Amino acid sequence: MSVAPQDGLIAVVKRDCPTCELTAPVLGELAARTGLQVYTQDDPDFPETVPTRIDDTGLDMSHRLKIEVVPTLIRMAEGREIDRTYGWDRGEWERVAGIAGLGADLPESRPGCGAKNIEPGVIERLKIRFNETGLKSRRIAIGEDEDDQEAMYERGWSDGLPLVPPTEERVLKMLDGTARDPQEVIGLVPPILAPATVEKIAINAVMAGCKPEYLPAVLAAVEAVLDEKFAMHGVLATTMFVGPVVIVNGTIRRRIGMNAKGNALGQGNRANAAIGRALQLVIRNIGGGRPQEVDRATLGNPGKYTYCFAEDEEGSCWEPLSVERGLTPGQSAVTVFAGFGLQGVVDQKSREPESLCRSFAESLKVMFNVKSAPSADALIVICPEHERTFRNAGWSKARVYEELYKLCEIPGEDLVAGAKGIAEGGPASRAGTMVNKFRPGGLMIVRAGGGAGMFSGIIGGWSSSGPRGSTPITKEVRN
Amino acid sequence: MANLEARGIPTVGVATTEFIQGAEAQAKALGTDPALVFIPHPVQDRTDDELRALADEHFDAIIKLLLK
Amino acid sequence: MTILLDPTSEQSPTLRPRLERPERLDGLTIGILDIAKARGDVFLKRLGERLGERGIAFKHYAKPTNTRPAPLPLQQQIATEVNLVIEGLSD
Repeated sequence: MSVAPQDGLIAVVKRDCPTCELTAPVLGELAARTGLQVYTQDDPDFPETVPTRIDDTGLDMSHRLKIEVVPTLIRMAEGREIDRTYGWDRGEWERVAGIAGLGADLPESRPGCGAKNIEPGVIERLKIRFNETGLKSRRIAIGEDEDDQEAMYERGWSDGLPLVPPTEERVLKMLDGTARDPQEVIGLVPPILAPATVEKIAINAVMAGCKPEYLPAVLAAVEAVLDEKFAMHGVLATTMFVGPVVIVNGTIRRRIGMNAKGNALGQGNRANAAIGRALQLVIRNIGGGRPQEVDRATLGNPGKYTYCFAEDEEGSCWEPLSVERGLTPGQSAVTVFAGFGLQGVVDQKSREPESLCRSFAESLKVMFNVKSAPSADALIVICPEHERTFRNAGWSKARVYEELYKLCEIPGEDLVAGAKGIAEGGPASRAGTMVNKFRPGGLMIVRAGGGAGMFSGIIGGWSSSGPRGSTPITKEVRN
Repeated sequence: MANLEARGIPTVGVATTEFIQGAEAQAKALGTDPALVFIPHPVQDRTDDELRALADEHFDAIIKLLLK
Repeated sequence: MTILLDPTSEQSPTLRPRLERPERLDGLTIGILDIAKARGDVFLKRLGERLGERGIAFKHYAKPTNTRPAPLPLQQQIATEVNLVIEGLSD
């Protein structure tokens, strides 16, 4: 690495810059009269007017001098910078150089061009090379003969699927996706209650396949599951099926290209896939939550790889889930729900909302077990064709909730242990009472899915729902 | 050894003291922490009885590394 | 050499940790793998006898050559037939 001149003038230029070309004669004059040193960022043969150019294609000197615009002219004295100017401005150059009458044939001034060392991608590599990343995580060296995929699998970082290796460069770029400080602690991740810094989350987001612009959604999802009322430890440790399901609302959906339409709950969309996966990797890697260890799920469910989708807000007659839960329309937000699977609700005949609600209710009532009530919360994903039925009838979301709750009242005698020949069930004292399948506030509705198909879905919840267990949490997405 | 542990089978290796440095180097290169019991070098010229005695002597140490 | 950033909370050493061991050997089967270096067979046979005396199930295996890792079919066989392995003798 070269040493910066201690005294005298320095110029940093690149050939691919009309203003640098313009100043070539001035640079030649300054080189002859003052011993100006010229560092060239792209072509060491430029400028031809200066006999000795210094090759800074490695951009080391440009980085150390913190060049942002070319040409830049700097005066050094006793190893310290005492003056600088950038672009071409006769008055400025004359002042910095301490010489009058420069560039007589040139216009008064001309703006410069962006310096190469601050181009995207380049700045990260330079920061890494100069150890200025500010990244605090431990570095893990993968041996030359080690396959990086195998190395990550063997260290236990994976959910079973391949990971994107979290190099310093990728993590730095990921951190560009947020204005938050990399060392900000979002929360403590159970079960080991380790701090999830923005940096650690970013590393897992890289591995999950996120783009930097997804990071704010990932941060919001992590923040949401670490809310005490979500009961993440319980959600992880349970023998039941659940994992966090992430529903995204607001302008972020379009900005990052999420899928709220056809196959919204399935594969194929990078943002849907990677945001949900990043959350699961955070739980695994930062929190130490792993299957057959603290995670005691008997079966689990495929959503524990990733379960994230956007609500189809446009054209819906209902307010988005985030608005229902208190945020302003358009505000980007995520809601997390401890849920599992997808129970399909097929109804291709109902033209009246009452009939459609009965289809939903009969499906809801068998959640977990036909004999269990109250069972758990449920998230109902209503497809556009079904929402249209409610829209045509002028039914608000509140009206739908009201109807569903009414239809989910079950005669207690049907729920008594042994009734219907099923040992499962509740105490005999229930007979003669009405028991609701759901606790008040235990249902949530979102609209999602393709425009064709009268197929909605129920995402089942966790038996410990509500104040004594997990409640859904909504968090604003902050940049 | 790393192969069987990667397949979920806890493994204990038995080696002669000659292998101590080699084991350390290998562990460092692979990033592993193998469970090892060392017996005195050499073994090639031992009689069968001597080898059986060595096995008896180190049996408990080996079993210990197979358990929690 | 690739440098990766550690995605974990860094509570374990960078070394890959050993697999968790069981509390007791009862009911488990121990594989004894001869890596085909001189005289290992006698040593390992004696270990098997001692296990047998304690009523612990065991199975002997042998690598065809000590110069290469155990062939894949042998690795897979061991992995499906036993719970724990003693491997020797290296020098």
